[in-house]
Amino acid sequence: MKPLRVEREKILPAALFALLVLVPAFYFSGLIAGREISRYYALAWSLFAAAIAFAIAYTERVAFYRRIFFGVSALAFLFHFKTGLFVDTFEASCFKDTPFCHIAIAPAFLNYLYQQYLALMSPGWKLWGPLTLGAAWVFVTLALGRGWCAWACFYGGIDDALSARPGRPLLKLGWFERKFRDLPAALLVFLLLASFAYMLPVYCLWLCPFKLTGAFLDAEAPARKIQYALMGLAMTALVLGPLLTRKRIFCSYLCPFAAWQAFWGRLNPFRVTADAGKCTSCLVCVAACPMAAIRCAPGGQPEILAYCNLCGQCLDACPGGGFSYTVFGLELPARLSPFGRLLAVKYFYVFSALTLAAVFSALWGPAALRDLTLLVRGGQ
Amino acid sequence: MPALFFEGALLGLSTGFYCLTACLPLLAPYLMAEGRALWKENVKILLQFLGGRLAAYLIFAVLASLAGQAGKYVMPGWLLPAATAACGLTMAALAVFRISAGPSACLLKADLNPFFKRLPLAIGFVTGINICPPFAAGLLRLLEIADVPRGVAYFTGFFCATSLFVSPVLLGTPWLGPRANDIGRLTLLLAGLWYAALGLTGLLTGQWA
Repeated sequence: MKPLRVEREKILPAALFALLVLVPAFYFSGLIAGREISRYYALAWSLFAAAIAFAIAYTERVAFYRRIFFGVSALAFLFHFKTGLFVDTFEASCFKDTPFCHIAIAPAFLNYLYQQYLALMSPGWKLWGPLTLGAAWVFVTLALGRGWCAWACFYGGIDDALSARPGRPLLKLGWFERKFRDLPAALLVFLLLASFAYMLPVYCLWLCPFKLTGAFLDAEAPARKIQYALMGLAMTALVLGPLLTRKRIFCSYLCPFAAWQAFWGRLNPFRVTADAGKCTSCLVCVAACPMAAIRCAPGGQPEILAYCNLCGQCLDACPGGGFSYTVFGLELPARLSPFGRLLAVKYFYVFSALTLAAVFSALWGPAALRDLTLLVRGGQ
Repeated sequence: MPALFFEGALLGLSTGFYCLTACLPLLAPYLMAEGRALWKENVKILLQFLGGRLAAYLIFAVLASLAGQAGKYVMPGWLLPAATAACGLTMAALAVFRISAGPSACLLKADLNPFFKRLPLAIGFVTGINICPPFAAGLLRLLEIADVPRGVAYFTGFFCATSLFVSPVLLGTPWLGPRANDIGRLTLLLAGLWYAALGLTGLLTGQWA
């Protein structure tokens, strides 16, 4: 084990970067969570995000610390929101007006319109409807783009964290990886058509593994059995997939929203770009990419697909440092001073992604901390 | 006769959106998978699809009118699930053939079995015999009319009006490229499996009985 060596010249810039994340994260988290629970929980959540920012700026490693934040955020969501499905503890939640899952409301069109009507009639911005949810999505897409799937998705963190567990893949995807990489896009098209035909949230009813409950499945017994079986298969893909392959199987092959975000995410200026001059065709990046979004193009150069969610794993993995965060493929002039380093595209991107993810996850993160505190104290 | 044609057309115009929801999940994946960036090719697919629908409507019109004359409705109940299952399996088979054939650039050159080229006809037929609420309304009117030529006029009007709702699907096709074809083939596979499962479930559980 290497002895821990403190690099003093990096501490102040990292602390400044952490402060830059902490201030907006706490301000907005306090507004969101503070409506229902103590702002101290929002402060704790914001400090956690700031600690992640500090670690990223100090070590210059994005992917490792991003994964910690992302995984904890998704666990907090499961802990607070999903357990609420079973024990009916919605009182302290921002989602108390949501019957089972806020995503399931979206494809249930009439319900969706009704929610919007309620939102307009009572200035309750937190009620989900086409305008509120649509505005949130536009903002997230402009600020984060495809980075949503690497920083803020309240489900993706589970798949991402599990994909880091095995040291090497036990199962190689081979031809499946090439032939079926567009499956989420196909699922998106098919599910939109099927939802349109049945006027039902088809994905949520038949595939979503995160509902964790049969409370709103089909009432008819045979259909219900098939829905349970498919939910079980999706859960298997979610848990076993990454453990066996080191890939985010559910996010890469079964999540239609990932395809949607990959399409619209190009509106966001941030990119991961490969420098062909530094490439030795070792293909380490292809194996490291958890989203199967890097392909070996003819000539042995890496080709970054539209499904790249800017997680940064390839930046950490490439031995030649051939990958970097850019703005539309362009890097800012390099600055070598301790504070000047923060003016790289990487830190602008991390600031944007982490702050937004911290604020967005304030919808459940602080509440999960409160739940945990109550649990430890032996309360509710 | 013209009055009945327009009566059918009015029913079609008022309920055509519903027809669109029934037709689109079958037609759109095929168009996406096999369509080209050429209007001519895609119009051919749409015309075949509409031809299949028209054939189904006319058969229905004749049968329903005859049934009306006899005072009872006679239509084999297994026809819809059987046709849905057959159509779904054919769609899935075509998709598997296309996906396993190789990269998209080579795929577009691969010759397609003429059997598959007539698939839009079958898809149109399946959507045509699908008894949706507007279709059922038309059927009841036919039982009342109980006259074959007048029944055919009524359902031709219904077909023409509902086709207006389906036709705009062509508007997106001139932008179809190899990538969209690749995604379309996977969509076709999913849609094929879905409809095959629906049809087989219908047959096995005897929901038509």
